[in-house]
Amino acid sequence: MSEVAVAVEDVSKSFRMYKERNQTIKSAIMRGRTSVHEDFWALKDVSFTVPVGSTFGLIGSNGSGKSTLLKCLANIYYPTRGTITHYGRLAAMLEVGSGFHSELSGRENIFLNGSILGMSKKEVTRKLDEIVDFSGVEQFIDQPVKNYSSGMYVRLGFAIAINVDPDILVVDEVLAVGDAEFQEKCFQKFRDFKAAGKTVILVSHAMETVEAMCDHAAWINKGTLMTSGEAAPTIAAYKQSYGHEA
Amino acid sequence: MHYLKEVLAARELLVNLTLREVRGKYKRTVFGQLWSLANPLALMVIYTLVFSLIFRIKPDPGSPSGLNVFALWLLCGLLPWTFFATVLTNGANALVANAGLIQKVAFSRIVLPLSLVGAAAYNWLFEMAVLVIALSIAGAFVLPWVPLVVLTMVVLAVFAAGFSLMLAVANVYFRDTQYFIALILQMAIYLAPIIYPVTLVSNASKDVGGLLGTPFTIEGIYQINPMVHFVGVFRALLYDNRFPNPIEWVICVGWALAAFVFGLLIFRANEKRLAEAL
Repeated sequence: MSEVAVAVEDVSKSFRMYKERNQTIKSAIMRGRTSVHEDFWALKDVSFTVPVGSTFGLIGSNGSGKSTLLKCLANIYYPTRGTITHYGRLAAMLEVGSGFHSELSGRENIFLNGSILGMSKKEVTRKLDEIVDFSGVEQFIDQPVKNYSSGMYVRLGFAIAINVDPDILVVDEVLAVGDAEFQEKCFQKFRDFKAAGKTVILVSHAMETVEAMCDHAAWINKGTLMTSGEAAPTIAAYKQSYGHEA
Repeated sequence: MHYLKEVLAARELLVNLTLREVRGKYKRTVFGQLWSLANPLALMVIYTLVFSLIFRIKPDPGSPSGLNVFALWLLCGLLPWTFFATVLTNGANALVANAGLIQKVAFSRIVLPLSLVGAAAYNWLFEMAVLVIALSIAGAFVLPWVPLVVLTMVVLAVFAAGFSLMLAVANVYFRDTQYFIALILQMAIYLAPIIYPVTLVSNASKDVGGLLGTPFTIEGIYQINPMVHFVGVFRALLYDNRFPNPIEWVICVGWALAAFVFGLLIFRANEKRLAEAL
């Protein structure tokens, strides 16, 4: 197999499921505890590798642990056990327009959001035209973003995120944004990414998207990895499990 | 060391988040940055009325500056205090208010509380500049002391930052923290010599003597409050125009370092769990 971009090794993640949660100092002092909980394992010993240059799909039904895994990949959650190693700069797109300040202009927000996503001021300045161009909001770039339509807002957010230019891009189902034209632009961007030898990890419910874009995939069900590898057999196995559209 | 590097790498983000606070705050107001003067000025007017005109509190004239203006004397202690109070109040909310961001993007979380310190410091700097001008007009030769004032401001900012790191984490687990701190701050202004001179406490302490036959005096306990020393240093520099008591200065620096290191350790120990805990 080719080089590895991301290696996920025996990753398990538990959350506390609270039977009661009373986060006040009163309950901490009076009863010596703030909560009663039991552990819920959202991920159980998941291991797989993502080859460099692949477009990797994470599939599975609701509540299967996909998003938890994605957040672990994005360094937002930390695995309870196991390790995730990535080789190269990793950027995650779990939400677009994170940290936008509604009273600030589009331009100011590009710099703000860019630095939240880990870009330096120089980088943002260099890519400013590209970002503005891609988002298609040139006309309104000096207006406060609170006046933007929801589509414009999302497009600007996406344009910034896609221009972080990482080696590995982790994407949640944010593809379902914007009109058909903008979506096509996004897909084109992902294809460019792939052509440039970069790795994309994608979580989606839309099987057509995964089929069209991914060459590798992993199927997760109730926190355990069912199968991973080439996209077609993995998707086929997943589809078979729920029986229709097979 | 590794952590310091990470924080250093995030300094641009820190600057940007600070600017977000600073720029966003007075957007769409007619008076803009002038609003940051409104609060201390309103407090100055009411405290001067009540404590100077009604209660007849008479602080010693500045020596050697010769100043004898209650309002200016008050501001030399009040402005550092309001900065400190603002940092604590806002800092306690720093993580909770940005829960969405923390759950969606990976970045050095420490910049969130620190950016609020930066934003408050920016306003404070503006207020202090106005105060220095006012003091100069009133006849104090304050300009040579400005570098030391700025240094002390940095020390107080470090002290406040340490506290806000602790409070921000505490507020994630106990939302009571924000209300509790508001209450404490309301009372604490009377526990430091901000609107009355420290000599009143010394005199009262001498009259009472050792408490319940112990060697502890009221003044001894009063001196535990670090803000007593910060206010003392600021008044010496700004109002009296003389070198502050070196011991007092060392106490301030000690408190600042202790608070910051402790705050940093607490923050660091909890940083990775924040996304889940929020």
